[in-house]
Order: sequence, then structure tokens, then C-alpha cells
Amino acid sequence: MAKEYIRLEHISKKFGEATVLRDLNAVLHRGEILGFLGPSGAGKTTTIKILTGQLKPTSGDAYVLGIHVEKIDETIYEQIGVVTDQSGVYERLTVYDNLKFFARILGVPGERIEELLKRVGLYEHRKKPAGKLSKGQAQRLVLVRAVLHRPRVLFLDEPTSGLDPSTALDIHRLLEELREEGMAIFLTTHNMEEATKLCDHVALLNDGQIVEYGTPEELCLRYNQDKRYRVLLSDGSRLLLGQEAEDVGRLSRLLQANQVNSLHSCEPTLESVFLTVTGRALG
Amino acid sequence: MRTVQAAEKMHGGNGGIWRRTGMKTVHWNKLSVILSMKWRTQFSKNFIAMPLFSVGLTFVMTLFYGSMAKSNGKALDDSVRGVALSLGALMNTTMTGILCTGMALAEEKEKHTLRALMTSSVNGLEFFLGSTLPVAAMILIVNVLSVPAAGLRPSAAAWAMWLGVSVLCAIASTVLGMIFGICCKSQVSASTLISVPTLVLVMVPVFGEFSGFMEKASGFLFTGVLSKAAAALAADTPRVDGFGLGVIGAEILLAAAVFVALYRENGYEKE
Repeated sequence: MAKEYIRLEHISKKFGEATVLRDLNAVLHRGEILGFLGPSGAGKTTTIKILTGQLKPTSGDAYVLGIHVEKIDETIYEQIGVVTDQSGVYERLTVYDNLKFFARILGVPGERIEELLKRVGLYEHRKKPAGKLSKGQAQRLVLVRAVLHRPRVLFLDEPTSGLDPSTALDIHRLLEELREEGMAIFLTTHNMEEATKLCDHVALLNDGQIVEYGTPEELCLRYNQDKRYRVLLSDGSRLLLGQEAEDVGRLSRLLQANQVNSLHSCEPTLESVFLTVTGRALG
Repeated sequence: MRTVQAAEKMHGGNGGIWRRTGMKTVHWNKLSVILSMKWRTQFSKNFIAMPLFSVGLTFVMTLFYGSMAKSNGKALDDSVRGVALSLGALMNTTMTGILCTGMALAEEKEKHTLRALMTSSVNGLEFFLGSTLPVAAMILIVNVLSVPAAGLRPSAAAWAMWLGVSVLCAIASTVLGMIFGICCKSQVSASTLISVPTLVLVMVPVFGEFSGFMEKASGFLFTGVLSKAAAALAADTPRVDGFGLGVIGAEILLAAAVFVALYRENGYEKE
């Protein structure tokens, strides 16, 4: 069993009278990606802030690398990396100087900066002032900064939000590599495709509550009760068949008559699972 | 399971962030990195204008008073040079000390780099020292340069007095700057909020030359003590009375107490 890096036990958070998190429970192990999925305002960022010691929970316990979140001090940041939607860069400094600044704070050798810049395709832009980077380049810079010191846990708050597909793909690739290296990644997103692709476990968050938890496959199968099959026939027409006796008989006849060009099962996506569970769409 | 009341009792407040980044240990490597970056920031176009303006003001005012004296057929008196020095030093100590420190902190918040710094294992004390020491050094350098700019050649004792008062005033003004920085979320709000107390701190000692009430009030401000020190330096009578030192000391302590209270409540940035 991989080492446990994060544990949330009955975490709740209130701001005044408003409850933003209710009884959250989750675990993240070494070399895993845990996705917290939900629409804006579901409580994803608040969860990250609690786990990184920026906010304290109203009740419940949470542990990061075995340390209770209320006992976290600045030394925890030598072992974790944080990327939030509000992770700024020093615009007057170049890309390289931005990273050098944080590398010196964290005691990281200069070679690591060059290695990471090459890995994310920013090496050619290393002398550019950070303020002149595109959004995608700036996001990659922020990500590089967060992993400079090879943290054991990486917190990512909507890392690909607003990025073009190609940059998002680059970031996905890097995250997969980091997971392979043993990093545990706590990812919040409202992009279900991203979560399905990257996450080992996902928690569907709605109104501050985890409404479903499991692997993406488990969740999709759990809500795959109304099984449907998409059939493309040799004459070009399409059919959507269910599991009723009549549909099964029809499919069987079509197969025997060699009239089926392709046959696909229609499993639910995380998006449709979320819709089924909460009655609301993401976005 | 801990309750919020217990947690709040433990941390002494609610809702703020960064409270848990302690004000206890200083790691020299981290501090030196912040110091060098903040020192470089001092020379960016947003910040260098104030020190340059201050030393320039001393020089220009000295020339102006000089030409006035010349037109009256007199040589420029050292006491008038002291007035020019006082003007420049007051501008420098307040504008560089309060405005630059406050705006730099507000900029860190506005651009979200404070968050990045604090999630990179920098603690509150390291950030505080890293933010204030370069500004204090800049104030000191400019106050020193302003002396020859005013055409003064003080004795060693007068230099020592001037340096001592400048250091104390730099401490007071940079702590004040941090207080305003904590209270402001953007550079615009920082410059608006800071302009009023800065004007008071500069104008009260300046008008002290013309009004008995202002002169009295000036005696209760660290800028007033600085202004008197400039006059003493010009007269080469290097003395700061105990009351003046007490005023600066009390204002440093008061500013530090307010800063610590605000920091304990919300950290550098209120959530």
C-alpha cells in the first residue's frame, strides 16, 4: 500500500453563517492524483487553502504528510508545492530570474531550473520578462516554480482553466510524469475530461459536500444502470439500443445478418454522473 | 475533532491567512534572497523617483535659497541650508519610507506574488525584514547624500547624530509603511490612503517654522525630531533632547504594536 500523504476527516468550514464545506473525507496516497471536481463555488479552493494551512477548518481534522493542518507552519512548504489561480509571478523579472529567486529560497540548484524549463518548453523564453508571457506560458512558469524543490505533494487549483488545448495537454503530460516520479497531486477542476484522464480517484463536490467518491471508472460504472449501445449499420443509419428483450433480439438479428458496421457501449461520463447525482450541470 | 472556538483560541483570530507562518525564526539564506530582490525593486521606476526627488529637492532648494541670498548681497547661511536639508530628509523619510514600503506590499498582494512567496517557506518575519531593511537603507543613503547636496560640512559628532536620528526615523516610517500595506489590497488604494498621513508628517514640521502651534505639534512627531536634527546638524550643535528621542521611540513602539496586532488578526493579507 502506497504511503498516505493527505487525509481529510469530517472537515467542515463556515464563513460566518455560510457553510462552504460539509463533512469532507478523502485520502491521497503517494504517486496518485486525487481530483476534487465541482462547479465554481463548490468549495474546491477552500479545501486547498485548508490543506495548505492558509485557512483553518471550522471542524474536523486534516493531515498533510502526517502533520495536522492546524500545526502546519512555513516549513511544510519545503515539502509541498501550491499552484492556485492566484499564483502570481514577478512581472519585472525574467522567467529564469523568477525561478532562480524561488530556487534560492528553497535551496534548489540552478541545473534543476534549466531541466524543468526544457521539460515544459519555456527554455527559449527564459530571458523574457515574466509580465510578457502568454497565459499558457505563465501557467507553465507557475507550475515549474511549484515543483522546483521536488515536493512530495502538489496542490493544483484549476491548473488548465482558460488554457488552449495544446498547453493543457503539455500540463497533463507533465502531471503524469510527476505522478510517475511518486508525487501525490491534489487537483481541483471543473473539467471532467481532464479528471477522467488524469485522476486515480475523484471526489464530486457539490455545495461543499462530497456527493460521490471513487475512481472515475467506478463512478461511471456505478451510474451505468440504463445501459445503451450505439450501433452504426452498413447502410449508414444509426440506432440506439437498450437492454430490453426487444432491443437485444433486434441487435442479435442485425449481427447475424452482418449489417452492423460498429457497436459502442454508451457509458456515462463523469459529467453525466455529476448531473445525475446533483441535478445540476458543471461549468 | 477540534471546534472553531478551540482553533481560534489556539491561533488568536479568525479568517485571516498566513497567521500560521511564524514570526520567530530568520533563515539567513531566505532573508538574503528577499533582501537582494527588494533592493533591486528600490531601483525600479516606480520606487526610485522618491529618493531621487528628495535629494534633488535638497539640492534645488539650496540653489534657490542661495540665489535669493545672493540677490540680497549675502552669503547663504547654514541655517537656511538646514531648512533645505530638512525638506529633503522629510520627503525622503516619509515618501520613501511609508509610501514605497506600503506600495511594495500592496503590489505583492495585487500581483499575487505575496501568496507565492508565503507558500515557498518564507515566514512573516523574513518577509517583514526583507521588505523594510532595503527601504531603511535607501532612506539612510539619501539622508546622507542630502547633507553635501545642501552644501553642509558637518563635524563627526553631527554626522553621528544625523545618522542615528535618520536610522530611528527610517524604522518608524517603514513600520508605518507596512501597516498601510497590510490595510491596502492594491497600489492605488495604498497611495491614496498613505498620502494623507504622509502630508501631515511632512507639513507639520515645515509649518512649524511659521506657527507656534505647529511647532509644538511637530515636537510630538518623529518627522519633527528629524527636522530639528537637520537644524542642529546645520548649526553643528549635535544634540537631540531626551524628549525627542522619547517621541521617536514611542512612535516606533506604537507602530510596531499596531503592526503586530494587525498581523496577528489577518496576517499580511486578509482572506
